[in-house]
Amino acid sequence: MKRYLLPIITSLSLSAIVSADTINAHVNGMVCGFCATGIEKTFKAQPEVASVKVDLQSKLVTVSTKDGKTLDDAKLKKLIANAGYSVVSIDRTK
Amino acid sequence: MKTTKTLLLTSKFPRIEAALIAAWVIAAAVSSEGKPLSYVGGLMLMQENDETGHTFSFDYTFTPTEAFGLYVKQDENGKEILMITPEINTLLKRWNFADGQANIFNMSGAGLANYKGNNQPALWTAFLADYESRRWFFSYEPRFVYDGNIEKSFWERARVGIAPYLANYNELNTWFMVQVDHHPAKHDHFVATPLIRFFYKSYLLEVGYQSDRHLMLNWQVQF
Repeated sequence: MKRYLLPIITSLSLSAIVSADTINAHVNGMVCGFCATGIEKTFKAQPEVASVKVDLQSKLVTVSTKDGKTLDDAKLKKLIANAGYSVVSIDRTK
Repeated sequence: MKTTKTLLLTSKFPRIEAALIAAWVIAAAVSSEGKPLSYVGGLMLMQENDETGHTFSFDYTFTPTEAFGLYVKQDENGKEILMITPEINTLLKRWNFADGQANIFNMSGAGLANYKGNNQPALWTAFLADYESRRWFFSYEPRFVYDGNIEKSFWERARVGIAPYLANYNELNTWFMVQVDHHPAKHDHFVATPLIRFFYKSYLLEVGYQSDRHLMLNWQVQF
């Protein structure tokens, strides 16, 4: 049993380490296409970011990071502030 | 065509002429009243054609609150004055709300004005206060221009707009707007312009017809 447990635990641990983050940021001030474009381009220029999606309706910026990469809250808030907007809250899923 | 010809006759800068003419050719079919600032590292190209003349500007946003660029205005409201200045656009204050955004900007430039071969120092400054939600738009802009001994002028512009439907940014956004321009120095002249604004991703196009029988055609691209 021990023989099987070790590889399982190891692979689970590794998958946790290399998994990507999906970050949902609720943002105030986004009203138009220029807002969305600015945020998209700002995030796409970051090495940690795999994809970004802006939804004006739900005021949500969804950022997916590359495997094994993460984007901390402070950097995320700074990037959105540089684009001209304010972060209200951040939700993360693995 | 008239604009191109006037530029060729009055400008002392052939390379700038060529660049401007190229921009005008690209923009021949269309001309904006968007924000004078984009995101850090963003470039913005803008042209306006209305009863005051033709305006072209190209800006690079280098901090969250500042953009630097080139501003060219071919004035046709009275004297045909060509003004070329570097410009700096500054975000003085921004309020981000759940359903909208309000801003106060300053745009200023210092350079050269030309009228019938007479070159004069040119200075201009404008303030733009706006509030925009996905449904409503309001703005007010006073502008002061000093063209040495050619002209000193002041004009002000206000806008109200409504979006008849709410669209996401990757869909076509449409706005119905009314713009009012006031030229106190020019017989206290008022010009009203009903216009339609189309917005798709980072492209903006405005078409209107002015009460003094001028076509208004503005465009803006952010990249």
